[in-house]
Amino acid sequence: MDKSLINVGVAQLKIGKKPTTLRTILGSCIGICIYDRMNKIGGMAHILLPSDTTGGIIPEKYADTAIPLLVNSLIKNGAKKEYLSAKIAGGASMFKFGANVSLGQIGERNIAETKKTLEKLDIPILVEDTGGSAGRVINFFLEDGRLKVRAAGKEKIYYKI
Amino acid sequence: MHAQIKQRIESIITNIEQLPSIPEVASKIMNMINDPDVSFKRIAEEISKDQAMTTNILKLCNSAFFSKGKEITSIDRAIVTLGLKEINDIVLVIAAKPVLDKAIIGYDLGKGDLWKQGLVAATISKNIAMKKNKGIADIVFTGGLIHNVGKVVLALYVQNTFNEILNTVKERGITFNEAEKEIMGFNHQEVGEKILSKWNFPPVLKSIVRYYHEPQNAPDEHKVEVSIVHVAHSLSIMAGIGVGSDGLYHEFNDFAVKSAGLSGEELEELFSKMPNVLKQIRELL
Repeated sequence: MDKSLINVGVAQLKIGKKPTTLRTILGSCIGICIYDRMNKIGGMAHILLPSDTTGGIIPEKYADTAIPLLVNSLIKNGAKKEYLSAKIAGGASMFKFGANVSLGQIGERNIAETKKTLEKLDIPILVEDTGGSAGRVINFFLEDGRLKVRAAGKEKIYYKI
Repeated sequence: MHAQIKQRIESIITNIEQLPSIPEVASKIMNMINDPDVSFKRIAEEISKDQAMTTNILKLCNSAFFSKGKEITSIDRAIVTLGLKEINDIVLVIAAKPVLDKAIIGYDLGKGDLWKQGLVAATISKNIAMKKNKGIADIVFTGGLIHNVGKVVLALYVQNTFNEILNTVKERGITFNEAEKEIMGFNHQEVGEKILSKWNFPPVLKSIVRYYHEPQNAPDEHKVEVSIVHVAHSLSIMAGIGVGSDGLYHEFNDFAVKSAGLSGEELEELFSKMPNVLKQIRELL
């Protein structure tokens, strides 16, 4: 087993630096990958829902609380705010869902809240591989900030940092 | 439709030898548990004859997932403390794990993904039943655990026809499992039902496996159980658990939500509790 590969579970947040790779599997959740291109450190948050309505106990679970937490942990570990950029993936919706199953489109709400929160923090989004109905396996390579997305049997690699 | 592929799948599902098996001792114990004429004592004796089964059962009885607090050191105590229904669940967890805990290539699932999804669907199904209909909690746990078993056999053929299946989904606007049937002549639910027939599982479990994507078509007496597993399955793929190359190209239907007696808020709450469920099952992975 590759020791530098770290799995990020649902409602978890992990940070690291070269040669670590952060990996997760996404349905309607969003993987938010933030990278400091100068200091080569980065992190990933795997959020389940857009925002907390219950005064929640787990900030990592929601876009609006997990993203600031991720940014702050990166800065605490030596990243500089001005070098940070984001790549986001996930937010799929069920292919078909009933009129009373509003949860079926939670993916869309997750995407919207993620973008809003990143915008508020003034972090540019360089890559969006979101929406549709495909599941995604993503690997975020902290050696150079590239993101590999495997969806519906096909792979894409995003190099922009 | 590929006539040749259809024929090959047909020959597999009609040839019992080629379908996955569970240990004979496990089926025997589950049948004894479900037979009201068999005493506790005889069941305990039967389990004790098999050293590996005994050890595994005791291990799971003392896991956080099944434990009632007190340490259990004998099968007799296990039956008295947990009850026969829980012992049945435990035996199935032991028997099904080797079948489901492997990489499923055609569906792009890594080793452990399908097993994890089974455990998650089983746990969510049980949680729903505990709130709405306690009497069926153990059945829906079992059904959730094995609902995807047909994928184990069908994966090889999905691998060869994946692009055609996905194109059919996109062009015709039908779900992935509907497209499986269109292209290969069978979907994984039908194959799963055959596997359960081989295992001599009861009709309600066969209905769950056969209809979990279309609970409205299940026999009336099983609609609630099938609907609960439909909801649990949908929530699991949305959370990325057991989501493979078929993605979310499935239906999350109103009928199931209504028949399980769930409101929109309850659905969202179940989804938001996913991290707790994952924590609960960690020991069983």
